[in-house]
Amino acid sequence: MAVTSSHQPIRWAFNRPNGLFLTTIIAALCVALPILVVVSFVITGVSDAWPHLLDTLLGRYALNSLLLSILVAVGVVMLGVPAAWIISFYRFRGRGVLSWLLLLPMAYPAYILAYTYTGVLDFSGPVLTFLRGMDAPTWLMESMLNIRSLPGAALMLSLVLYPYVYLLARAAFMEQSANLMEAAYTLGQDRWRVFIRIVIPMARPAIAAGTLLAIMETLADFGTVEFFGVQTFTTGIVRTYYGFGDTAGAAQLSTLLLGCVFFLVIFEKSSRRKVRYYSDRLRRLNQTSIPLNGWRQLVAQLLCLIPVLFGFLLPTAILCYWALFFAEFQSMWSLVANSFFLAGSASLFVVMVALVICYANRLYPSRWLSHATTFVGLGYALPGVVVAIGVLIPFGAIDHFVSSTLEPLGVGPSLWLSGTLVALVFAYLVRFLTVATGSITSGLSRVRPSVDQSGRLLGLSQFGVISKLHIPIIRGSVFTAVLVCFVDILKELPATLILRPFDFNTLAVKAYELAGDERLVDASVPSILIVLVGLVPVVWLNRSVNQE
Amino acid sequence: MDTVALMVRSIRLSYQDNVIVDDFSLGLKPQELGCLLGPSGCGKSTLLRAIAGFQELDSGEIWLDNEPLSTEHHRVSPEHRGVGMVFQDIALFPHLTVAENITFGLTDWPKASQGKRLAELLELIGLVGLNQRYPHELSGGQQQRVALARAMAPKPKLLLLDEPFSGLDTELRGRLASEVRTILKSDGICSLLVTHDQREAFDFADRISVMYGGQSCQFDTPFNLYHEPTDPFVAHFVGAGEMVDARVESSRSVSSPLGVLTNDTDLEFTIGSDVQIFLRPDDLIHDDDSSYKATLIGKHFRGAHHLYDVRLDNGVVLGCLAPSHHDHEVGERIGVSLDIEHLVVFAKQ
Repeated sequence: MAVTSSHQPIRWAFNRPNGLFLTTIIAALCVALPILVVVSFVITGVSDAWPHLLDTLLGRYALNSLLLSILVAVGVVMLGVPAAWIISFYRFRGRGVLSWLLLLPMAYPAYILAYTYTGVLDFSGPVLTFLRGMDAPTWLMESMLNIRSLPGAALMLSLVLYPYVYLLARAAFMEQSANLMEAAYTLGQDRWRVFIRIVIPMARPAIAAGTLLAIMETLADFGTVEFFGVQTFTTGIVRTYYGFGDTAGAAQLSTLLLGCVFFLVIFEKSSRRKVRYYSDRLRRLNQTSIPLNGWRQLVAQLLCLIPVLFGFLLPTAILCYWALFFAEFQSMWSLVANSFFLAGSASLFVVMVALVICYANRLYPSRWLSHATTFVGLGYALPGVVVAIGVLIPFGAIDHFVSSTLEPLGVGPSLWLSGTLVALVFAYLVRFLTVATGSITSGLSRVRPSVDQSGRLLGLSQFGVISKLHIPIIRGSVFTAVLVCFVDILKELPATLILRPFDFNTLAVKAYELAGDERLVDASVPSILIVLVGLVPVVWLNRSVNQE
Repeated sequence: MDTVALMVRSIRLSYQDNVIVDDFSLGLKPQELGCLLGPSGCGKSTLLRAIAGFQELDSGEIWLDNEPLSTEHHRVSPEHRGVGMVFQDIALFPHLTVAENITFGLTDWPKASQGKRLAELLELIGLVGLNQRYPHELSGGQQQRVALARAMAPKPKLLLLDEPFSGLDTELRGRLASEVRTILKSDGICSLLVTHDQREAFDFADRISVMYGGQSCQFDTPFNLYHEPTDPFVAHFVGAGEMVDARVESSRSVSSPLGVLTNDTDLEFTIGSDVQIFLRPDDLIHDDDSSYKATLIGKHFRGAHHLYDVRLDNGVVLGCLAPSHHDHEVGERIGVSLDIEHLVVFAKQ
């Protein structure tokens, strides 16, 4: 008699675990490839330009990256934590709307914000024209012009990255058990002491996790720092690779950057673990939120409105205004078609691979598989520039090898991999696979093994279990995975810039090129399109969070 | 007049227009361990939160050591009440160690006294040496003892315990309830426990207030609640038993389907009135020689004895405790008789 163990999900009738298993291992190797490639250059030797790099540039890259990270950390905490605190603990007019408006800056890639503010704060732009008319002090006008600087870049990045901190801090505040605060009151502590001794320390891991995510994004940023002329690791890598033609040097810089990211990932993971200890689902705070009136209400509204105003409302209004009335822009539709085709097909591919990985983990759970899956999760932390270099080097080598092999057969040299969409899709897979697996895993976790088992006992076939139970249950999370991947790919600048086939343009690349030519008003057209598409998953995810 | 530590005088509490507790009164003597016992939804936890100061009163007042805590016009905030509380979900601060949790409320004490109090409490709860552990590194029972020590640390005038053992397994529960009683008695803290578990209440309390529908049915010692319930709800809720119709025959006796029963004291009912007597399984004994026969319709083996369900000829079903070796089959007719000195009599409803 065939008896399925009650702890395990049902095995498929066709007894081929290897397909699913292999795909997962291959995906892990794909993620490993760029890492292994750049790290291998450390072992194979020092580049000729390395002493020069070490002497002059490395210190500058490291210092700028560090300064930028610190400023962004301060910025995201200052923008995100007060807003999360006000939204969690107080009741006031507009609280509901502000609580999700605060998420909207997530739709902005930092580089688009940088282009927009540069255009607005230009010498002949509206703000400075107005200030001149008002006879404003010179230092104020100079500081406006100085937006293209390291502090300016930190400001841009903070404005789009603070939602990470806001989201995690808000969840932490709201998940704190009301009983803990009441316990502190019965131990003789007043409201202020409870805040300092309980509320803030318990939210600290969540705030730290959000800040670390923001720092990771900061280190990965290329568009903003490049446009503002701030020399960091990412711009250094591109410059070393293209400017000096030094592959080994670029790879070694990438390795250093990877090292930093690696530590951030470890800290982030340990913070997340603490978040779990500290959260409690028994009694939430909501019921004890304090109503605000008069000037206190005004202060609360302002503190929540400022990040939204400068991170979303103002730049969006300006972009729309430019795009509708001033921009000169040709061939928009072919650009849109290109971008959507690329993002659409790549995100579908990524999600299909993610589905295979998730089902492999579900059906054939093993230590190897779970390690491989965890490793795949690192991809999202890899800066786009590093992924691009790590893909370009081996693919270029393969192309070179294939061309030289085929030459005697009369086939001309060509870029089979590195000059085609293959390289680009591969890079997207490495970078965004986690986004998809994360969403699908959380969907699948709702389909407990007992669901499969009761489905089978009620007469469904293997196929029936999938079509009648799994698909309806995880449909939403698969859709979310496609949506988020789509938008991430649409926004991704450095990997696309480096790996795109010759003459193949996307919205992000076009915005970059126009901004580089100081045609900031014209850049508003691709920019606003990216932002509008980027809004879709933010609104969608917020809606589904609220439904839960 | 006895000195009173906690005094709750005819209070009324409501939540979103629903009256949860109505006209409730309670008094605890210094060092007394009290208990609010009742089914879920009877308002006992709301009452506890009102004493702690988290819930406003509609009317009535709460006094502690001759000072008003809550009246209609005035409410002392929770942190200034000198009332400690142990919570149902334990509510240890997860980011602090055992020592930091216990000394959390001692911020205004000098460092040396803090250390002394900490050592004293660790000794009392039997967790010496675990002061640097974090809450998630402790077992459920240890966590609960730390929560108790934390609440006791500032020497509160009153300690409230809100179903503190409900998250623990059954065996641990009974043991901890007696253990906590010993700890609190040795520290002499006046305490009030809330629970729906009568065994826990019996293990813990000097006096118990049985609550139903937001009101107190009876406030008495565990012995009296069991043997002299003044209210049918209390009779049913505390221990098992059934009502049987009877008629008052004389000032000290009633006639029942099981014969004439004599009470040890005078009854408060007029002769000839219809009443109900409350019979517990240990009142009805199995006696082969008895002239009263009943049909055995169910049996529950309890190790040392059997609990039989028997049906009297008039259809009334009663519980009957029989020695373990008196093993009868369901369907048999067995002899039963009442062994009872003190009758529990209620007016017929």
